[in-house]
Amino acid sequence: MCSNAAVEASDRELVERLAGGEREALAPLMQRHYRRVYRIALAYLRNPDDALDVVQETFVKAFQHAHRRNPAAEVLPWLTRIAINQSIDRYRRDRRRQQTLEPLAEGDHDLRLSDGEASPEDQARGQQLRARLDRALRTLPDRQRAVFVLRHYEERSLEEIAQLLGVRLGTVKSSLHRATHELRRRLQGVLA
Amino acid sequence: MSLRRLLHERWRSRVTLLASGCLEAAERERVLLHLETCAECRNEHDQLRALVAAVSMDPVRTAEPGVAAQFLAQRVTARLDTVVCGRSRRWGFAAAGLGIGLLVAGLGLRFAAPLAERERLAAVSPAPAPVVSIDDLALRRLERVMAREQAVRYLAQAEDVLVHLKAHARPCPERHGHVELSEEVSRSRELLARRALLLDLEAEALLPARAVLEDVDNVLREVASLASCSGRGELERLRREMDERRLLMKVRLLSQELMS
Repeated sequence: MCSNAAVEASDRELVERLAGGEREALAPLMQRHYRRVYRIALAYLRNPDDALDVVQETFVKAFQHAHRRNPAAEVLPWLTRIAINQSIDRYRRDRRRQQTLEPLAEGDHDLRLSDGEASPEDQARGQQLRARLDRALRTLPDRQRAVFVLRHYEERSLEEIAQLLGVRLGTVKSSLHRATHELRRRLQGVLA
Repeated sequence: MSLRRLLHERWRSRVTLLASGCLEAAERERVLLHLETCAECRNEHDQLRALVAAVSMDPVRTAEPGVAAQFLAQRVTARLDTVVCGRSRRWGFAAAGLGIGLLVAGLGLRFAAPLAERERLAAVSPAPAPVVSIDDLALRRLERVMAREQAVRYLAQAEDVLVHLKAHARPCPERHGHVELSEEVSRSRELLARRALLLDLEAEALLPARAVLEDVDNVLREVASLASCSGRGELERLRREMDERRLLMKVRLLSQELMS
């Protein structure tokens, strides 16, 4: 807890410096959080280039709005909120583009498999699952997708998700329920 | 709907929350007890757990951005610069536009009006016609804006071709194992011809964008040189090349920068 508090205090200092217009504070803040922001955006958008754009825009917005942020609030949830809103905006802007409906080409991610030494069969199954997951997630409505990503990729509690998205707890629960069942339906046959 | 079905529906959302790991201890116990007596919910719970397990294995969770934080920080700083400069530049462009408008109006008045009319006007008002001058700085600014606009237009059209190339692979009806690329080939040729006419890569305004524009040109040239019905290997090679150079990302970033 102590170390977390120290990191958080340091994050707050950096954001206070941003609020004062000090751009030098951007690099250390990004160094600390850009991976996490990237993974949120990638989980939502399923496209590495778009996710990088979102990382950039998230920190641009963070700099521009740092002076409006509640100084007592934690920094990471604030960045998460900006990142998920940027991802939703980005998706809405690009919705009409055909590419968002297509599965990602193999090798499009710079990905590191978390399950270590996987057999060729497992790898093939993993790739198939990933492609299906990409497609299935893309079909979810904005909010359902955001709720699902925040719960299962960011491991946020339902209350935190409600706060991050500015919606009621009941809405989060129903969105998660719908999203989960829709994904289950679409991934039938791939799931063990 | 039967009573049993109604009761079952009430449990379903709680089963979802259980599978998602969102229930408090007491509620969790209640749902687990229900699962022991309801095969349908148990089956659903198993499937949802499989989904959650699959998501927990999604490589996206550990994906690396592939770009250093330092580089991204520079991009953010550059973007902030363009946001700030954009505001002041807009006023500069407005002033230049006004100057040009006045100049055009002045010239129009001078040359478009019939001679007799001009003589009559001169007789009525012997005062000299107002001379509107536009300074070199404003003209250069205008040239820069036009060069950037052309570049953005070119990049948008090139991006369309590249996205199409990356996302689609229609089988060629004439040759088995080949892909149909006639549209991409003809659009690339057309774009390159237009680019040569409209864009001067040596222009001062485009110097920072030159590397990316050249990369785009090179890929378009390769596409333009393909046959309408090409082997899949050719397409894969081009896609790999685009990925390695992160061409689409660069095109988007550059377009944003030029637009702002």
